[in-house]
Amino acid sequence: MEAFLGGMMVLADPFILGMTVAGTLLGVFVGALPGIGGSTTLALLLPLTIGISPVASLAFMGAVYCGANFGGSITAILVNTPGDPSASATALEGYKMAEKGEAGLALGISAVASAIGGIFSVIVMIVAAPLLARAAYNFGPPEYFALALFGLSMCAAVGGDSPLKNLIAAAFGVALATVGIDLTTGVERFTFGFYDLTDGIGFVPVLIGLFALAEMFDQASRQHTLGKLLKLDTVRIPGMAEFRKCARSIWLGSGLGTFIGALPALGATTAALVAYNETRRWSKHKHEFGQGSIEGVAGPEAANNSAVGGAMVPTLALGIPGSSTTAIMLAALVVQGVRPGPHLFNEQPTLLYAVFASMLAANLIYLVLGLYSAKLFARISMVPPALLWPTVFVLSVIGAYGPNQSMGEVYLMLFFGVVGLLFRRHGFSPAPLVMGLVLGSLLEESLKQSLLIFQDGWVLGFLGRPIALLLIGITVAGLAAPWIMRLQARLRGATEKRAA
Amino acid sequence: MSRPAPFLWRDRRVALVVAGLALAFLAGTFSFEAVPLALMEGLGASEFPRLVGAVILLLAVMLALRPAPAEEEELPAVNGCGWATFAACLGFLAAMAVVGMLPAMFLFMVGVGWLWGERRVGVLLLSAGGVVLCLWLLFVRVFGLGLPGGMLGEMLFN
Repeated sequence: MEAFLGGMMVLADPFILGMTVAGTLLGVFVGALPGIGGSTTLALLLPLTIGISPVASLAFMGAVYCGANFGGSITAILVNTPGDPSASATALEGYKMAEKGEAGLALGISAVASAIGGIFSVIVMIVAAPLLARAAYNFGPPEYFALALFGLSMCAAVGGDSPLKNLIAAAFGVALATVGIDLTTGVERFTFGFYDLTDGIGFVPVLIGLFALAEMFDQASRQHTLGKLLKLDTVRIPGMAEFRKCARSIWLGSGLGTFIGALPALGATTAALVAYNETRRWSKHKHEFGQGSIEGVAGPEAANNSAVGGAMVPTLALGIPGSSTTAIMLAALVVQGVRPGPHLFNEQPTLLYAVFASMLAANLIYLVLGLYSAKLFARISMVPPALLWPTVFVLSVIGAYGPNQSMGEVYLMLFFGVVGLLFRRHGFSPAPLVMGLVLGSLLEESLKQSLLIFQDGWVLGFLGRPIALLLIGITVAGLAAPWIMRLQARLRGATEKRAA
Repeated sequence: MSRPAPFLWRDRRVALVVAGLALAFLAGTFSFEAVPLALMEGLGASEFPRLVGAVILLLAVMLALRPAPAEEEELPAVNGCGWATFAACLGFLAAMAVVGMLPAMFLFMVGVGWLWGERRVGVLLLSAGGVVLCLWLLFVRVFGLGLPGGMLGEMLFN
């Protein structure tokens, strides 16, 4: 409780409060810019956060993360262009509402549902993260190895066009994490004589290249047509009747979003799409879907914002990122010398509660922004790509160069920009590669330590660790499930054919 | 546009590239320095990368064995603007070596802005100048970061 109050008091520090407000504003701003989501922004901001304290840095990034998820919905509703992928489900019904002249109501319910979802998930995070951390306090290397493996296996469901390709990307991420000097033996691996590579491949150039630069190359090949901004007079706070109609979808979205967000690798976009489907399934007004359903806006909006808090639970409690954006936040902490995990709750509780406080504050700030400044933020999407993307490039260059003042990092960023573009063209998602890069060292170190602990061989060793065994079992079952289901369907087909 | 999928359809070609990279990665692990057994601590420096390489190879084989679809969508070609933007990025590196980072950024923003269809020269110059000025103030004046000055900077200031 003391730590909780201490964390909340952090907001009384004008600098931290200022960073939280600035982070929320920036998050909503960039969330409204098509193509520049929370991940890209955090990747670009990573070098800037190195110079400030971990508390201020996390408060800032947490606020950007919350704000960007909300900002994406403004343009999804008014321009039919989701600023952030997580707002794509909102565009389905939100834009239809705007076309019917209900843009203000759509934005109002979006702001309210987002804030409720966001606050709900932060409360869950405040309760669940310390519990999970306490449970994980006794985790040894075998459990961490199993957990990292489970996190990587969840990458299969993260996006792209096939689970197999996602797993390949994740494995490449782990391979990249092996570059540099091996800490236990001192052997140089894959450095090819380049001094810049002896400390391993830095997160910053990889993240900036994969997210920001690849998006720029992708945008360069597209025909740019600016969306038509629909008329918006005033944002209307939903009345009791509308709120009652949406209450079920908001709670459904909040619950689903928090749960999906907490699963490693799955983030706000998956949460919003699942929430949209479930909202439609459980709605009493199914006929309104596709015509501009207010429930169809409320459910996904509550879900994509609640996924933010959910994703922070495994990130902070276990050091396993809940989404690609939290993978970047995790990288920022590591760069600052803070290793997230259960020990953090004992060692730096104020830091954690400061994150919770900043995220709570961010949710309240964007509620006000959403209700009073939506029209202004919607205009952001009208910034011509010809001015926006060259700016992103120069920010990328300075972001990659800044932390180590090394041109090698700029070349690396360009290389990963091309890799990111190739990934997109061939149906690979960049998120699993980031997850692999972040989790790779944990995977290797925990495996090495596990093998040292196990005196009777690794098979018997893992058999003697029930939690590790359970996690490995879930991983194997999760990976094998699609094949088993396909085999079952084939057998069923063969039996039906024989019966016919 | 789609066409009947050939034997070496797109994912199979991708699988071949992935397998090639995995083999190169595996081969690389044999060039590591040998480690005395006492230092191996459970696993040596090369065992884990070999395991990862083998997993990538296995996944590549699984990707290659996936049944081909009846028809294959053709990838949209990278258009002229895409190639020109990439060339501009390389040009930026070359320009940076000559005139330094900030002037190269200014040139890049004006050039690529024009390439992407912005024809209002005043807007291009103003936005590029504004961004570069902000970067200089923030990174050079506030954070004290030394940005590469290029050959021109060397000549002028050294």
